[in-house]
Amino acid sequence: MKDVIIFGIETSCDETSVAVVKNGKYILSNIISSQMEIHKSYGGVVPEIASRKHMELIMITTKEALDKAMVTINEIDGIAVVPGPGLKGSLLVGLSFAKAVAFALDKPLIAVNHIEGHIYANFLTNQKIDTPFISLVVSGGHTSIILVEEIGQYKVVGNTRDDAAGEIYDKIAKYLGFSYPGGPVIEHIAKTGNSDAIIFPRPLINSNDFDFSFSGLKTAVIYFLMNKKDKKEEVNVNDLCASFQKAIIETIKYKTINAAKKYHISRILLGGGVAANEQLRQELTEEAKKENINVYYPPKDLCTDNAAMIACAGYYKLKRGITHSFNLEVFTEEEKGLNK
Amino acid sequence: MKILGIDTTTKILNLAIVENSEIIIDYKINKSGQTHSAIILPALKNILNSLEITLNDISGIAVAIGPGSFTGIRIGLSTAKGLAFALSLPIIGINSLDAYTFTWQNLSGILCPLIVARKGEYYYTLYHNKDNRLVMMRDYQCKEWFEIKQELFKYKEKENIYVFGYGMKEIIEEDRMGNDKKIANLHFLKNNHNITNAANVAILGEVKFLKKQYDDIYKLMPFYISKSAAEVNREKEDGLCSKKR
Repeated sequence: MKDVIIFGIETSCDETSVAVVKNGKYILSNIISSQMEIHKSYGGVVPEIASRKHMELIMITTKEALDKAMVTINEIDGIAVVPGPGLKGSLLVGLSFAKAVAFALDKPLIAVNHIEGHIYANFLTNQKIDTPFISLVVSGGHTSIILVEEIGQYKVVGNTRDDAAGEIYDKIAKYLGFSYPGGPVIEHIAKTGNSDAIIFPRPLINSNDFDFSFSGLKTAVIYFLMNKKDKKEEVNVNDLCASFQKAIIETIKYKTINAAKKYHISRILLGGGVAANEQLRQELTEEAKKENINVYYPPKDLCTDNAAMIACAGYYKLKRGITHSFNLEVFTEEEKGLNK
Repeated sequence: MKILGIDTTTKILNLAIVENSEIIIDYKINKSGQTHSAIILPALKNILNSLEITLNDISGIAVAIGPGSFTGIRIGLSTAKGLAFALSLPIIGINSLDAYTFTWQNLSGILCPLIVARKGEYYYTLYHNKDNRLVMMRDYQCKEWFEIKQELFKYKEKENIYVFGYGMKEIIEEDRMGNDKKIANLHFLKNNHNITNAANVAILGEVKFLKKQYDDIYKLMPFYISKSAAEVNREKEDGLCSKKR
């Protein structure tokens, strides 16, 4: 069978990423030009600055990706790109560029939802994953439980009602004076803490759906700290981080496994930046095992935003004959376009 | 040898193809509700079809790099780069104020091209045209109309002053209403048939193309003039901080 080479572009937030993936599995290149350092100094992503950076980086990142993969642009079989969800101005740079390349070369254009991409990161390393499966995409922007009965068909069964899990990590970290992103720092500190030292709420854990709400947990942590400060009492930061992390992981774990049980699914696929959290991977795997559910997760470097996962999803969509026209628009809302 | 001109710096999408300084096609879409990104390639396909040519008949791509709408500029430039990169074509960036000036380059006097920006500000510059020689009188700037008018006031009762470009409606109205500080020799040039100017972009691009003055596809960037709001605010804060110190 002839090799299928997909060129992927991802510019939905603050990483300009371009990748070349062969047969939906072999990463020939996956270049990520991060803008994190610039946005760090502003304490978060500034949309106009991100858009300007994407414009500066898109060509050079493309060249690097093609050079590293040792393919020319004429050798690719399709262009996969993210039209959303994400920051409009950022998305437009990648989308306009991708469409022009596809148009000029008369190659198929494949739109990949950013969340869909995170799911497919699993397919880049795991040899074979059968459908149906439940996917948990958890990052700084998303906390979604998605039922995938067939490749390309998605049903969002649970979502966050307020902040995403990764966002809570970032906000708590910021409050504690740690650097952005907060996830890795808190995870590291939590390792040496007692996770039962403080009991934080597990929001919505008893609701009958699979939705999340994390802003209450954030408030509880911050109130706890303020209260201690008022009383001039010492806080064991390690215990605090461990206890906070336990609350968030338990909630995620409980909801995800329950969703799998409800739909009689025996596979859970993790994706998104928070999926790099070792504690989450371990605990979810162990707990799911008790219910005979297998948990899959991508290697850490494919958990964060990258174009390889977009190219991978693009491969599977192209294989099913899913391509898109040049009037494709960007979108910023969460769920729109997941099944398009 | 055909040059494709792209101008997405305003809310009008404008594409043109030019050959030997002659406009073969000039195509404009003024449709709200969709981004230029959604309509630019279908529009390009339409014009190629109507001329019965393909992209392979295009020898170079000229693109308006601003000033103008930040998002619009990026859509045009990303598209131009995608096309040029995929087809290995030379790319040439053209300043949008210079493109507007091209239409009126035969008028002698002071030429003031401007493009409406945000918050009542206008991107503009000034040229002095004498004996068909354009000399730039100041750098490209973004200011409010009253400030630009103050600057133009220096030239009252001298040569003719011509103001033209995109988004002049409000300043024309303001000038008509206001009774103070009239500048008698100031003329607003309205040309409804030239509200955007991809054809000028392509013609100016062709001149550079013939001289092989191509831009580097990796280095060609938008000409924003204005910094992002976040950067401006930071500079203000830094200014305050350093004053405190």
